[in-house]
Amino acid sequence: MYKILLSWRYLRTRFIALASIVSVTLGVATLIVVNSVMSGFVDQMKHRLHGVLSDIEMSAPLLSEIHHSQYTVKQIRELLGDDLEEVTCVVRTPALMAFQSPNGMSVQQQVILIGIDDETFGKVTDFEPYLQHARKQTEFNFELEQNGYPNDYGLAGWELRRERAKVLAEQERRIKELHQQSMRRAKQEQSQWDVNQPTVAQASFQEPAESPRAGVVKPKFAPLPSKIRPIDEVLAEKELDTASQPDKPSFTGVDPHAHLRPKIAAEDRFDLAKDQYTGIIIGQAIAKRLMVDDEQNVSDFFLLRPGDDVQVMVTTVGRSPKPVSDMCTVVDFYNSNMHEYDSQFAFMPISELQKMRGMVNPMTGRGSVSTIQIKLKDGVDLDEAKKSMLQRFPVNEYFCDIKTWQDTQRPLLSAVNMELTILNILLFLIIAVAGFGILATFYMIVVEKTRDIGILKALGAPSGGVMSIFLGYGVSLGAVGTGAGIVLGLLFVYYINQIADFVQKITGQEIFDPTIYYFSEIPTIVSPWMVAGVAAGAIAIAVLASVLPSLRAARLHPVEALRYE
Amino acid sequence: MSKSSAATKSGSDQAKGFKVVRPPLSVVRKTILSTNGLYKSYKKGKLEVPVLKGVDVEIAEGAFTTIVGQSGSGKSTLLHLLATLDAPDQGEIHYGDRRIDNLSAKKREAIRNQEFGLIFQFYHLLPELTTLENVLIPRMVQDGFWSYLRNKRRYKQEAIELLEMVGLGHRLTHKPSELSGGEMQRTAIARSLISNPKVLLADEPTGNLDEENGDEVLKTLHDLRHQKNLTIVMVTHDTEMAGTSDHVIHLVGGKVQ
Repeated sequence: MYKILLSWRYLRTRFIALASIVSVTLGVATLIVVNSVMSGFVDQMKHRLHGVLSDIEMSAPLLSEIHHSQYTVKQIRELLGDDLEEVTCVVRTPALMAFQSPNGMSVQQQVILIGIDDETFGKVTDFEPYLQHARKQTEFNFELEQNGYPNDYGLAGWELRRERAKVLAEQERRIKELHQQSMRRAKQEQSQWDVNQPTVAQASFQEPAESPRAGVVKPKFAPLPSKIRPIDEVLAEKELDTASQPDKPSFTGVDPHAHLRPKIAAEDRFDLAKDQYTGIIIGQAIAKRLMVDDEQNVSDFFLLRPGDDVQVMVTTVGRSPKPVSDMCTVVDFYNSNMHEYDSQFAFMPISELQKMRGMVNPMTGRGSVSTIQIKLKDGVDLDEAKKSMLQRFPVNEYFCDIKTWQDTQRPLLSAVNMELTILNILLFLIIAVAGFGILATFYMIVVEKTRDIGILKALGAPSGGVMSIFLGYGVSLGAVGTGAGIVLGLLFVYYINQIADFVQKITGQEIFDPTIYYFSEIPTIVSPWMVAGVAAGAIAIAVLASVLPSLRAARLHPVEALRYE
Repeated sequence: MSKSSAATKSGSDQAKGFKVVRPPLSVVRKTILSTNGLYKSYKKGKLEVPVLKGVDVEIAEGAFTTIVGQSGSGKSTLLHLLATLDAPDQGEIHYGDRRIDNLSAKKREAIRNQEFGLIFQFYHLLPELTTLENVLIPRMVQDGFWSYLRNKRRYKQEAIELLEMVGLGHRLTHKPSELSGGEMQRTAIARSLISNPKVLLADEPTGNLDEENGDEVLKTLHDLRHQKNLTIVMVTHDTEMAGTSDHVIHLVGGKVQ
């Protein structure tokens, strides 16, 4: 009883000891905050990495192919049986994408083009949630939507295309008009020329009166044709030409297929306002740029919008790869908030990509693929599944990489894990330093309390009892410090975004820049086990730090302690 | 073997302002504490300083015995040895018919806690506790947590009675820093009596007090001795004070004279 009473009294009357555990409080709070933010960060990142990458990937070396993909998929289905959720085949290839930026400049961008099966791809990876058009998220296809794209894109979809077509038609009309104007002017000038000047043929060659080079042989000119066709004759022919196709511009001189055009039925002609090319979905970061206006407002600017056409260039497969290109229409953006993916990925239908790259077997009509992505049921051990697949598809026969998503992102994941470990060690060292503070303070308190210890011993208190007074004191100090630290840490984690905003407002420095990190808010996860572990560690350090002073107290000889004044 | 001599100067009794009632010698017959050839030395650096050089004393049950001597004569050391706070280098100490100098730490703690009451020159109260709590400390040490809680009401009652007995019934919740020297020493006396000890060992209980307070404390000791039938051993260098006791043991240079 006296142990509790005295521990409690010492705790209440010695505020300096409380000061010595402020470092414990701060250490605990920092540990909780750092761990919560880091685990929130890692969790979000893993979630996204995992979502994009699928559980297991079986891929041919880049740019080569897995032939007999249907057979392989069947084998995988048989091998994994009930563990399997879904399998999908993709063609993944580096590609060059070219498009016109709004100022008419030609822009090229290297992308990773992924040909996907729109039925199964969304079931294997988290693809659809990252699309920007609401309807694409639920019923995915590669068709351009009429409207309904996010507002900050501005004009997009078919609306954009129709607007483009209108502008284009207006431009063509204007060019035609200018052309006709210039033609008319030329005609006028021609007729004036005819009146005022003699024809070239008629002009006689005049000898200079006195030539400084009299002895030189005179050049002889071949006589020009007696008659040059007047320009209005040529124009009349062309007028006739353009009259037969009133909706087409009169650039007959540069259009090599002009003579074919009248033969194409109107509905078969590609009409910008009504037709689209193969749909393509591109990472939003490829198109999006930040723009700051005169009033320092930051807004997004899009080099490309859904509805724009892009040219895609890939290489064919086989022994001598050749570049091939085709037009595609951007139908949506993909935004996973993982910059690595958003700035590189472009998705198009697998069948189109297979055709472009010559991956379709002309005999069977079946296409080869570059990667088979697999999603397993929840709770299935990925590494086990990977091992069985490696057995079934030995690398010396199939030449395929089989990787889990963790293997693919191992460098990133292990770097983050190492960061977390080092941070934890460093922060625990802070608490350990606090432990030495406690040790010193306690030692002083024991010295100060030497006489009291002597009294207690004289009154029959055993050494163990005296020791437990100071141990109890240490535990309660540790507990108070840790408790305060937990409360502080949890409050900090709870209001972390507000705190970040507040500090940002005061210092004017952006603390958490969403464009650099993957998230718009600071993600946090508070694990009760983590909090309990940190608390136990901190209290253990406080107890360890008070053991030495307590032992000293226990070993004090009562007579010497009483003589102490 | 007893070298203790009865005080003869009865005149000094009156000088202290209160009457000392001595039990008749026929009552003082049984020895309760005795030592046999006690040697004790302390080390001061490399030097060994002998303090007690063969001390034989006998303390009679129910008697008020004083140990008198110059400072350095070993009187406090002798009291510490009697109280089992320290162990002698040589020799034996008997309490009743038990030898107590070689007991285990646990048994010695039990004896200090329950058989002996200790009073010190500098009161030695715990500054963080109130008067009442200070008095209750030996009970807290004696009992475990739960048994103390069970008996708490009774102990508290006893403590309050004791404090009233020493005239501090109105100072129960005061801290030692709020008490005068005499009050502190009377609190210490109350504390030494809470476990109903048989022997009271006092180390210069009046050494730090002025004469008035010192007399007060001495009177309290005398009163209690009769009320509780205590054996009191008091160390003092004040021969006048020693005059009020039944027996006086003179220690000179670590030996009884």
